[in-house]
Amino acid sequence: MAIEESLERKEALVESVKYKVSIENVDGWYGTKRAIKDINLKVREKTVTAFIGPSGCGKTTLIRCLNRMHEMTPGARVDGRIIVDGINIYDKSIDAVIIRRRIGMVFQKPNPFPTMSIFENVAAGLRLNGINNKTIIREIVEESLKNAALWDEVKNELHIPGMSLSGGQQQRLCIARALAMQPEVLLMDEPTSSLDPIGASKIEELVRTLKDSVTIIIVTHNMQQAARVSDFTAFMYLGDMIEYGATNQIFMKPEKELTERYVSGKFV
Amino acid sequence: MARLLDIGLERITNLILDMGHLSEDLVNSALESYEKGTMMRAQIFEGSEKLRFLQIEVTDFATELIARYQPVSKDLRFIQSSMDAAYGFSIFGRYAYDIAEVMETIGPLADCDKSEVSLMAKTAKDMISLSVKSLEKLDKNASQKLYMMDDSVDSIFRKYLKKVLTQTKKRNFQPRCYVSALLILRYLERISDHACYIGDSVHYVVTGDASPRR
Repeated sequence: MAIEESLERKEALVESVKYKVSIENVDGWYGTKRAIKDINLKVREKTVTAFIGPSGCGKTTLIRCLNRMHEMTPGARVDGRIIVDGINIYDKSIDAVIIRRRIGMVFQKPNPFPTMSIFENVAAGLRLNGINNKTIIREIVEESLKNAALWDEVKNELHIPGMSLSGGQQQRLCIARALAMQPEVLLMDEPTSSLDPIGASKIEELVRTLKDSVTIIIVTHNMQQAARVSDFTAFMYLGDMIEYGATNQIFMKPEKELTERYVSGKFV
Repeated sequence: MARLLDIGLERITNLILDMGHLSEDLVNSALESYEKGTMMRAQIFEGSEKLRFLQIEVTDFATELIARYQPVSKDLRFIQSSMDAAYGFSIFGRYAYDIAEVMETIGPLADCDKSEVSLMAKTAKDMISLSVKSLEKLDKNASQKLYMMDDSVDSIFRKYLKKVLTQTKKRNFQPRCYVSALLILRYLERISDHACYIGDSVHYVVTGDASPRR
């Protein structure tokens, strides 16, 4: 009886694991160049997944496929299926703009809108999506800045240009801008590579906090960062997904020799 | 091009192997002093202290390597296991000293039967030697052999303990001989356990898994 109960509990646990994003047989192309090859991966809801690998391995291409930004590059296309909450985002009936609203993105270099204030940077997406109620906008801006751990630093100067903030603050402003759209998935493409260590550590703390409400996928060249912030790690090489697993397993006991060599810095 | 971490790993390997050889020598000396009745407590204490300082050096250096290079995977497992092995070798030194001290405390034992201690000592010495070699060669299979040897050590100890309990009822019971032998057998039994743990550490370095026996 005890064994049966235990098995039932285990089955219930397996069933309760919810996958937010399923990448199925995905190829990413730039013209005739196949940048990522037959990628299969399931991303659990409200976790942080890191994509690691050497330059040119396809990490950024893959992350850009996840919110249909890849197709904005002339000549680029995607084969395969990317399922978010049971819906194939590449289905012909799906509007890419809506997908990008649900799946936010933060880039390598902070890119606040240069002519806008801190407040307007966060509010811009809301206004573009037809939200004009000032009270609602104010509330969402405040909540987003709080969630991006920036509110306390800027609450008395929301009118100053976003570009006047430090690099780390600008990046958190960009995260607040993305959070204002209340995305379900947040893609982060090397979000700390242009920041100093303090700015980077604030973003890392933020990532850990945000995963309670958002599924996060982060591309990073910094393996220690992947080890610190992520729950799962995927190692890519020359467009292939070499290994995907729990971060602890990837960094302590990788299954593939190639992964072992990469994470240990023995790559030639 | 060699990684900077490799230079550190080489240094820590050398430190650990030095500790292994020194601990092996100390246990051998302590057992020899018991068998031959020579007093070597001061020399063995000196060696044991050296092992203790080396253990501190390994721990400090391992911590430095982790802080500087943030190693992962096999590198991290090796550093972690080096600290475990350093502790094991330091413990060998401590037990060598305890063995040497038995005679100082109890007095000459020339008239005692030392056959059981000699029997266990041979296996225990082989186990120390094997644990050092397993670390040198990163031999993951040594762990299994060490546990098999440990079973025989445990068996000798249990048998001797029963024998002592039987002997205490006899008129000509000589507590000096039995107590000294029992203490030394106990130290050797603990040395054997720690040799197994070193084998486990090597198994963990190579495979990333705990030893099948643990």
